[in-house]
Amino acid sequence: MDAIFLNGPSIFAEADAMSAKEPSIWGLAAYIALVLVILFVLMSYAKKGLNVRVFKNPITSLFEQLYLFIENMCVGSIGQHGRKYIPMMMTFWMMIFVGNVVALLFPFAPTADLSFNLGMALIAVCYVQYEGVKANGLLGHLKHFTGPKLSGAMVAISVLIFTIEIISELMKNVSLSLRLYGNIHGGHLAVEAMNNLGNKIYVPLGVVVLLLIKLLTCLVQALIFTMLTCVYLSLVTHHGEDHAEGDHGQAATAH
Amino acid sequence: MGTGLGLGVGIAALGVGIGLGLIGNGALQGMARQPEAIGKLQTAMLIALAFVELVFLLTVFVAPFLIK
Repeated sequence: MDAIFLNGPSIFAEADAMSAKEPSIWGLAAYIALVLVILFVLMSYAKKGLNVRVFKNPITSLFEQLYLFIENMCVGSIGQHGRKYIPMMMTFWMMIFVGNVVALLFPFAPTADLSFNLGMALIAVCYVQYEGVKANGLLGHLKHFTGPKLSGAMVAISVLIFTIEIISELMKNVSLSLRLYGNIHGGHLAVEAMNNLGNKIYVPLGVVVLLLIKLLTCLVQALIFTMLTCVYLSLVTHHGEDHAEGDHGQAATAH
Repeated sequence: MGTGLGLGVGIAALGVGIGLGLIGNGALQGMARQPEAIGKLQTAMLIALAFVELVFLLTVFVAPFLIK
């Protein structure tokens, strides 16, 4: 975080000075490791009941429900070919959700650090570009940025649209990471402020009042990150696949 | 500097609060009229909420760089 905002007059430095619990890079790594350990333990436990016909293991059925939820989201926003993006979306969802929820039990969350979020958003955006190139080819993917097909002197407008689209493509990763960071970090600050309010009467108000709302925030932020990635994917992969399906349909009716 | 920051964040929160309220209003009306479309409406609503919220977050992060 310091490396990114080196030149700014810094609210960040002030915030760092205020909250001494902001960990160093190794602390962050330790928290990420904690999240990964939680996930791996849960999933390895869920794997035990996988070969039964009806899932009796509660953890397994929990993950089944999660899978159905993510599948519903992917298929709903991308379409039938959205099924192949489920693993990535599921990974994002679980990583962000567990990363958020860790903060309810431990003093820090990996998603309350901008660098982790930025890394995840970079992965998401690069994945979207990769899938776009894979679906439409490099030229098709680039043509996708130029907007509607124009001719003659109007090509200048296409160039403008292309520039703006590229900029918005680059800003996607800023918006994804800032949204997650702002929500989680802001939630922490709010809980801290409420606790300070209740200090005089020895009641941790933030813990009593705000933790439930924070749980909701955790859920919604994980959902929004995943869903926005889905929407970006659907924007990028939409056309080629649809045309292909349309062609198949026509061929089928012709036969 | 502190006062300016507080004022700026307050104004941003005011606008974003109105925006979020409008989105909730529209989504609720739509859901009440057409309960079978709740799933789709919720998706669209959440995306709109995320974009409106982002404006506030951007304000929060950009304001300290403008005030010096």
